[in-house]
Amino acid sequence: MSAPVDTVTTEIIRNALLQAAEDMNTTLIRSAYTPTIYEAKDCAVALLDREHHVLGQSSGLPIFLGNLEECTRDTERRYGADVWRSGDVWVLNDSYIGGTHLNDVTVFAPVFTEGEAPELIGFTASRAHWIDVGSKDPGGSMDSTSIHQEGLRMGPVKIYEGGEPCVLMHDLIARNVRFPHPTLGDMRAQVACARTGAKRMLEIVGRWGMDTVLAARDAIFTQTEALERAAIAALPDGVYEATGSLDNDGIELDRPLHVTVRVEIRGDRMTMDLTECADQATGPVNCGAAQAVGACRVGYKLLVSGEVPLNGGSFRPLEVLTRPGSMLAAVEPAACQYYYSHLGLVIDLVVCALAPAMPDRAAAASYGDSMIVQFTGLDPRNGRLFVSQEATVGGWGAWAAQDGESCLINNVNGSLRDMPVEVLETLFPVQVTQYAIRPDSGGAGRTRGGHGVVREYRFEADQDLSLWWERSVTPAWGLFGGADGAAPRVVLNPGRPDERHLLKANALPVRAGDVLRCESGGGGGYGPAAERDQDAVARDLAQGLVSAQGAARYAPAQG
Amino acid sequence: MRYRVAMDIGGTFTDVVAHDERSGEYLAAKAPTTPGDLAEGVFAALGRVVDEPGDISFFVHGTTQGLNALLERKGARTLLLTTAGMRDVYQIARGNRDRMFELHYRKPVPLVGRADTVEAGGRLDWRGNELHPLDEDAVRAAARRARAEGFDAVAVCFLFSYVNPAHELRAGEILAGELGEDTMVVLSHQVAPEWREYERTSSAVLEAYTGPVVRRYLSRIEKRFAERGLAVPVQVMQSSGGIVNAAFARRHPLQTLLSGPVGGTMGGVAAADLLGHRNAICVDMGGTSFDVSLVLNGRPNIANQGAADGFPVLMPLVDLHTIGAGGGSIAYAEAGGLRVGPESAGAMPGPACYGRGGTRPTVTDANVVLGRVDPDWFAGGHMSLDVDAAHRAVASLATELGMDRLDLAAGICDVANAKMAQAIRTLTVEHGLEPREFTLLAFGGAGPMHAVEIARELGVAEVVVPRFPGAFSAWGMLGTEVRRDLTRQFFTPGADLDREAMAAALAELEAACRSELAEQGVEAADCRVEHAVDMRYEGQDYTLTVPLRGADEPGDADFAAVVAARFAGLHERRYGHATPEAPVEFVTVRTTGLGGRPDAAARAYAPEGTEAEALAPVKSVTFGGRGYDTLVLRRERLAAGQFLAGPAVIVEATSTTVVPPDATVTVDDHGFLVIKIGAAA
Repeated sequence: MSAPVDTVTTEIIRNALLQAAEDMNTTLIRSAYTPTIYEAKDCAVALLDREHHVLGQSSGLPIFLGNLEECTRDTERRYGADVWRSGDVWVLNDSYIGGTHLNDVTVFAPVFTEGEAPELIGFTASRAHWIDVGSKDPGGSMDSTSIHQEGLRMGPVKIYEGGEPCVLMHDLIARNVRFPHPTLGDMRAQVACARTGAKRMLEIVGRWGMDTVLAARDAIFTQTEALERAAIAALPDGVYEATGSLDNDGIELDRPLHVTVRVEIRGDRMTMDLTECADQATGPVNCGAAQAVGACRVGYKLLVSGEVPLNGGSFRPLEVLTRPGSMLAAVEPAACQYYYSHLGLVIDLVVCALAPAMPDRAAAASYGDSMIVQFTGLDPRNGRLFVSQEATVGGWGAWAAQDGESCLINNVNGSLRDMPVEVLETLFPVQVTQYAIRPDSGGAGRTRGGHGVVREYRFEADQDLSLWWERSVTPAWGLFGGADGAAPRVVLNPGRPDERHLLKANALPVRAGDVLRCESGGGGGYGPAAERDQDAVARDLAQGLVSAQGAARYAPAQG
Repeated sequence: MRYRVAMDIGGTFTDVVAHDERSGEYLAAKAPTTPGDLAEGVFAALGRVVDEPGDISFFVHGTTQGLNALLERKGARTLLLTTAGMRDVYQIARGNRDRMFELHYRKPVPLVGRADTVEAGGRLDWRGNELHPLDEDAVRAAARRARAEGFDAVAVCFLFSYVNPAHELRAGEILAGELGEDTMVVLSHQVAPEWREYERTSSAVLEAYTGPVVRRYLSRIEKRFAERGLAVPVQVMQSSGGIVNAAFARRHPLQTLLSGPVGGTMGGVAAADLLGHRNAICVDMGGTSFDVSLVLNGRPNIANQGAADGFPVLMPLVDLHTIGAGGGSIAYAEAGGLRVGPESAGAMPGPACYGRGGTRPTVTDANVVLGRVDPDWFAGGHMSLDVDAAHRAVASLATELGMDRLDLAAGICDVANAKMAQAIRTLTVEHGLEPREFTLLAFGGAGPMHAVEIARELGVAEVVVPRFPGAFSAWGMLGTEVRRDLTRQFFTPGADLDREAMAAALAELEAACRSELAEQGVEAADCRVEHAVDMRYEGQDYTLTVPLRGADEPGDADFAAVVAARFAGLHERRYGHATPEAPVEFVTVRTTGLGGRPDAAARAYAPEGTEAEALAPVKSVTFGGRGYDTLVLRRERLAAGQFLAGPAVIVEATSTTVVPPDATVTVDDHGFLVIKIGAAA
């Protein structure tokens, strides 16, 4: 279908497309307002050809890989192939197209050649998390039951026309969100990213010609596909399975939601079947099928072929099956705000299922979710409305060669850093009284699970507390005889008469002087604890990472 | 007293460049670095250019002592003292990870273990008000432990010490009183007076961990120089691209941590100035590394924060980017495609042509196959190359890929050049500038070999190869000023700005800068002070550093509007967008003191020997798939003003410059090679 292209040109074009996508990503991340973009890397970018095939992509958050093209495709399906005009920029955040929550907004634009008769050569697209899209509660609701409570929902709609901003649309967005300056600032960062992408794409196509670029792209994808197939073929054929649970949907707190991942390896192909999972839930734990596919791909890359570069050929040998109407392939009007909790679960389950096929690489489960702590209210120090939202670090699973890492951010949060105590206390009326490793929380094993964290707050003013803590029903499981990690625990006013244990809360009023103690879970252990090197046990004891009581779990087997 | 001398003590070689103030001549030499006692290598190198240390009027050097101690984990045994409840801040290390597809991710192992971290009661709030008094008994107990267990250093980091240092100062007093001078005590607010407790702790620990090593080294080297008659203070390069004397460096040893390659960037600043250019891309390509840095508007590009071996440091440093490409980058086949790097053959076994057992083809091997490296002149003739091994390595990969050997060799170079060019483009674009607005300065052993092709990829029209490209870092230090950077946290929403307080804070920083420069021997009249403030839009986390006209500018009635507009302009240029009506925040004020630039009147460059001697043999070199008869010239014999059309290969002791067929080269008055790209040039 395309002209032959030589090996060297292919490799140079491969690098140029990678770098073009990286440049787009850099443009977006450097200037974004919300840490969700610049640290959690809750964003992704792609260069697409005229047929909506990926030319190059880059993502912070891998679960976004490979579905940005749905936005340009959907637009063309609705409004026709001649809808594209030079200088236009479009926006879309519908959960059932993009697969995520309404905060994830995709900005995309057609790329035209310059000159007398501009010709459409492709598209740029970027997806990024906006800090607020006008959900019923600030920062997103923990108890929404319909997408209509979750904020402004946009199908494909233009925000720039012929290079000029559509001011009416900007005004509409500004009126529907709580923080218009940061939100429109992030939108402008995405527009700048689209400009960077268009410029790079024109340079690349101008230098080599579209035919050569497409031929090189095909060759690159074929190379990648071959590497992926070889990696799968090296694994023993068979059917592998694992089951785990979300604690609940945030509404019915005593009903766990089960997910089973069934992986079949046959020759150089792999199928992941997610059809056996809970029906779509009342609370906001649903996602579009596109994201369930994304989570399977992340689990696959983590375990099977992390060293093979990512591109449009990466997932050709991997098929993912979902069931419409289930929690992992939700349909309108399912609530989707916490679409990512079960994605972390699916990633852990993929690794767990495949552990028998790859015992030397597989790791026990991690603490599993973002463990969100959110404070909102009016700051008495300056009379301003504030929203503080933090994710909490925790323990990762052990594997054959090493202990799991302690106090590390969860899988679906990219490279998010914790909030420095000094910054938190300066910005919000709260004090952190302890920030510490949680000893003994890592699952015992021949190699030990990583430890969770203790973070204790004292409120300096009355405010509202929201919590989204997960994975207490199936805490991080051990592998091959290793013990499970400790479950998460959150206590309001520990040791006081009004002490209260809770993991989920939506806008719960708390008073100045109240104390909130948050303890995240540890990772699972690997192999029998009795086989652990006793020097390692002694080292952990000396560092205070296990207590004397905890060390007893590693006593060698008698006889 | 006639020589100004600069020395770059690298991992393998100690480079020295001397400027003879009487004749105006520059002299360069190198000697193997002697890791056991660096002084040996230092004096060996020095002896090749200067007979009597007493003749030295100025001596500056860059040292990697602290960095080596860090990389080899041979630093001082350090006890860490923290605020009660915050013992694990340093262990948690903000909990982030920088590789996405790694199931087995581990953070860098902290330099101080959890068991060597102790807490002391005492708490300040975000304004610096005392909530609980310092538990002085806990500090004394820490001191007793440090003495009993033989710790070399104690680092102290208390919450909010950047607002109110009282608790840290008191703890410092107690520790110094109990421990005496043998134990180094580091207070975090003195190392990095900025918020973010993990980063500040990390900076303090790095100073405590590397400081004693650097101090011992500086004392030793000063003593050895004094014994040999050196009559001037030993100066040291800082990571920020300025120099300080050894006495000062002993008090602030962390400032020298990343000083090694910084000389190259400062050389870039000096060279750009001589050439009359504002912006330059500095490319330092060696056997195993490829460092890029920028000269922007005549100044080194400085970042306010960096990292050393994975540990953050809050201090100004020259922003150097290391790219996974170099002469040692390995070419290989993957699923029928060609890949080059980032895996490197390193120094051992090194490229196949080094003859140390390497069999996989590298970029250097490809250059050998193309005839661009003169096997007899490599590394100044110190090393002979195994040309056959290079051919065998490239041929074997060519067979695997079904390619012609020469095509593959050219292809390996093309891919490596394209990758380096793309990485450079990303850097310049980050500053809102396109590469074509820059001149490319190439140095290091391999930089001048690839520079023209990299420049072509970037649309850069001019490449300059300075004199002594293999010792450019040392040359760069000769022209460097004394520099001192001071900062103070000044967090306030724009609407609440107290303009007088900001002006007062800047005035205090200025006074402190001037007095520190005076201590360094810089005349008051010779001292320049610059001010800036870090700003952001409300809700952002990252800041941009916005320059100010002077310490008193915040006093202006229209300051708020003027500085907001300046910030918006910078935001637009750097990021491609701005929100002029959005509220801003101020975060940190910064003051830099500079002065004492040496008056280095260089004599016009003159060649050694005659022009006729410059003409060396003609050999066949491959460009664009065909062989060209190419002159191989000796650099030191080329006269100023000489003009040549490519192709040419210009060899000298430490480097090789390749001039392709469509480029021309002129030797300018400074002896720099100025290469113009494009046949029409």
